[in-house]
Amino acid sequence: MQPIVSRTGIGMLGALTVLALLNPPADVHAQIFDRLKRAAKKADEVQKKLEPMSVEEEREVGREVAAKLVAALHLYKDEALTRYVNMVGDTVAAMSDRQDIEYHFAVLDSDDINAFSAPGGYIFMTKGAVALCEDESELAGVLAHEVGHIAGKHVLKIVERDKALRVGMDESKAHVPGSSYLHKMSQGILIKMIDQGLAPGDEYDADQRGMKYAHAAGYPADGLSRFLTKLDQATEQGGKSFWTRTHPPVSERNTRIQQTIAAQHWEDADRPKLAERFAAETQMLKPKA
Amino acid sequence: MKSKLRWGSLVLVWALMLGVAAPRTMAQDNASQDQEKTQKEEKPQKEEKPKKKGGFFGGLKAISGSSSEQQEATTTAGSKTVGEGEDIGNAKPSAADRQAVTGMESYSIPQDDLAKFQEEGQLKSNE
Repeated sequence: MQPIVSRTGIGMLGALTVLALLNPPADVHAQIFDRLKRAAKKADEVQKKLEPMSVEEEREVGREVAAKLVAALHLYKDEALTRYVNMVGDTVAAMSDRQDIEYHFAVLDSDDINAFSAPGGYIFMTKGAVALCEDESELAGVLAHEVGHIAGKHVLKIVERDKALRVGMDESKAHVPGSSYLHKMSQGILIKMIDQGLAPGDEYDADQRGMKYAHAAGYPADGLSRFLTKLDQATEQGGKSFWTRTHPPVSERNTRIQQTIAAQHWEDADRPKLAERFAAETQMLKPKA
Repeated sequence: MKSKLRWGSLVLVWALMLGVAAPRTMAQDNASQDQEKTQKEEKPQKEEKPKKKGGFFGGLKAISGSSSEQQEATTTAGSKTVGEGEDIGNAKPSAADRQAVTGMESYSIPQDDLAKFQEEGQLKSNE
């Protein structure tokens, strides 16, 4: 007996059913199209937030971070010291791998032993940190380390990766100083820098870059290393610094610095450390007898 | 006759299946939309729970509370921080503070002075 529905019939039925499923009614089609459109728009927004910041945008963010540091810790307003720190800073920054921005240096009126760098080239040292240095090569080492962070775009890369921080960047007033976008962004950077610390790899990278710049500028490359040893001792004796709290151990950093000096054959230990000039230029920080 | 009957039943079955398939697709679509809506409605309830700090910029919070409150909140969350960065992050720069930053930007050492400084220190310029 021949079956009522033949094999060919079943095949056709299957094919038509698949076609029916692939060709839904118009309103379903519209819904699918609408969703695809929304998904594409969202993907575009996310992509935009993950795009690298322009130098101008980086400067806006850095300016806001700098303004908060000045608001909280205040500038140390001494023309001679500001000039000296800028001279040393400019000398090492001239050797930086990154020359698409200008570097700016200032001293903060705090006895804590800290140094900060914000995106866009803003570099601060507290007067406590300057006072801890024994010579100019140590000051140059610390400033060069901060230049290294900016050259390595360490903070900038974190900001670029964190799309949550860049929400609101397209709003019309987002780039006005003090906007909620810049406030949130700069607050996030300060928490990351001071409370949480950058990745150890970024600190080691800033050390390596910094010693390279200091050496290229004519200073002995181990200025930072000597400063770090003193910093360790100072914080053990009660000195306050977020460096020892958030940065990799000083012993490990110094080991790596010495290894690099040896590997690079930088026989620069006999270069002038400029202790006398440093003492003369920073005499306002010495306790009066 | 048999052939007509065969084709008739085939068309009938196909039409029935089409009738069942299309509304099911719509129903599935609507069901997923409903599910999304329900999830969205549930989300605010979930967000009421205290947020855990973490990630690259964990610890961001509204500008309120004293520094000691902030410090306590950070410590409670198990972070190693003491909230100093958060305190600075919450600072509201005045016009004078912003002016100081502008002054920092415009400050520059004359090239001759810098060259003399480098020469005296036996340093190198990048030229």
